[in-house]
Amino acid sequence: MTTMTETRTSRVRSTAGTTGVTFAGVLRSEWIKLWSLMSTRILLLLTLVAIIGVGALAVLIRFSFLDEMSRQAREAGQTMTPEMMTESFPPGSGFDLYNLPNAGLQIGILVLGSLAVLFISSEYATGMIRSTMNAVPHRTPAFVAKAIILAVISYVITTIAAAATFLIAMPVFQGLGIDLDWSTDGVLYSVFTGGLYVAGVALIGLSLGALLRNSAGGITVLVGLFFVLSIASQFLTLIPGDFWKYVPQYIPSDAGGRFLSIGHTEGVIDPWQGGLIFLGYVLLFLVPAMFVLKKRDV
Amino acid sequence: MIEATGLSKVYGSKTAVDNVTFTVKAGQVTGFLGPNGAGKSTTMRMIMGLDRPTSGRVTVNGRPYAEHKAPLHQVGALLDAKAVHTSRSAYNHLRAMAATHNIPTARVHEVIEMTGLEAVAKKKAGGFSLGMGQRLGIAAALLGDPQTLILDEPVNGLDPEGVLWVRNLVRYVASQGKTVFLSSHLMSEMAQTADHLIVIGRGRIIADAPMEEIIAGTRQVRTLVRTSAAAQLAALLAGNGVTVDQNEQETLEVTGLDSRRIAQVALDNGVLVYELTPQLSSLEDAYFDLTKDEVEYHSHLTGGPAPAREAAPVTAGK
Repeated sequence: MTTMTETRTSRVRSTAGTTGVTFAGVLRSEWIKLWSLMSTRILLLLTLVAIIGVGALAVLIRFSFLDEMSRQAREAGQTMTPEMMTESFPPGSGFDLYNLPNAGLQIGILVLGSLAVLFISSEYATGMIRSTMNAVPHRTPAFVAKAIILAVISYVITTIAAAATFLIAMPVFQGLGIDLDWSTDGVLYSVFTGGLYVAGVALIGLSLGALLRNSAGGITVLVGLFFVLSIASQFLTLIPGDFWKYVPQYIPSDAGGRFLSIGHTEGVIDPWQGGLIFLGYVLLFLVPAMFVLKKRDV
Repeated sequence: MIEATGLSKVYGSKTAVDNVTFTVKAGQVTGFLGPNGAGKSTTMRMIMGLDRPTSGRVTVNGRPYAEHKAPLHQVGALLDAKAVHTSRSAYNHLRAMAATHNIPTARVHEVIEMTGLEAVAKKKAGGFSLGMGQRLGIAAALLGDPQTLILDEPVNGLDPEGVLWVRNLVRYVASQGKTVFLSSHLMSEMAQTADHLIVIGRGRIIADAPMEEIIAGTRQVRTLVRTSAAAQLAALLAGNGVTVDQNEQETLEVTGLDSRRIAQVALDNGVLVYELTPQLSSLEDAYFDLTKDEVEYHSHLTGGPAPAREAAPVTAGK
């Protein structure tokens, strides 16, 4: 009898469709949600512009620095070779030219991370979360769909911005005679890993939003984690004893930052280790967030 | 069909829903009535899987809501008209909901038309009036053309035309053999809409019966008596399960005795009676009767009929 009722009703509900919940559908739903907010579209566009803008500024600063150096050298009757210029940014100094694509990364972390917090915390703030959970009562698919969309958007925007920043940087430094192009060691690595780091930050942001269910709280913790903690950890190095000097590299922002550089430095974790540590942090937030989302009343 | 078995929900030290068992049958409109804080919304939220029951179990069409493959086709719910992102348009809200079940956009347009939202569909939902918000909530509930419709206070904030529309809608849906479960604090509305009533107070079911039975069965027949000798007649009638209230100078309200017997007593004692009217009890009477001990938040600013109800009965043998 049950089967009979169901066949009859499925014919009646032709206009409403019959497939039920599919993950592709949930993904599309979350995409519509993100894209149907004017504020998000504007924010994403401004983020792209801001990352490139900050990157261009970094290019300008390094160019002025080198330009000034070679001017002083000329006045002193010497010539500064491109090799000397490159050596003025020694590897690991934090000013490596190959890292230029990610010069505007901090802006991306701040905006895309906050957007990720808001992507779920605003649903709690407005009550939308109840509609979401009604449509997807298993809950986890909705969270995973949000995570995928945020990770992909963060990666794409950061990578486009990184490539654009490098396109600005290349002619500027080539003008000084410095050999800098796509084949320079670390350039392509930087372009393609910067987005992974930002995507990771976005996933931590989404998790914070789900755990705290509060926009201001989530963004505050995110900023604390990626900006304040990084500064605070520098004070640890002032504590006497070698041990404390090695601690800061294990915090999320430093481990993630290390992942974006190349080469081995004595006493510092390798890039791949930094990447794994950062991934660990991402999971440390993501897994409890998914668990809590599934269990908690909404 | 909704089946709750031993359903309880405890928030900290407060028991919102206390071991509730009931069945909401298909093909009729079942009303869910109770004072504020009685546990109506909590019960509905547990049905929809938004709140996890502390104990017990509730199924919709044979399964817990979350275990359905196509939940929106099984149950459409309006639990809270504010379950919408305020910056998103009504159309995009419905489109996002529909996408999860691959419900075609044509259906989105259909429910927008059904709920009369065409003019505001592209506007931000945050700017909607309460009534428009309710219509959007109902549109979302209808999206999957569900087998079961759960509406929490659906006519809240609706204009009279909207109220009538909701009444006709739920009656139509029930006539299609589907299940309709709706709560309302408007008893006149409930009296006109529901076939069956579940009354809840302080988290417990206090009545679960067809509408007529609830109206007829809860309060004994009351009779309004106007007489020139109220005090004398009151003394003659009172006692032995009969209560007599005197509200006005020459007016008595007699409970527990039919009008023929009252007339007989008056005739036997030579008392003049110039009005004898049986009082039909309304759902409202029945409701107050049922919930008088169960109200969570008593209003202290009583006016209108409330003091009359509490008037001290005149007892015999004084």
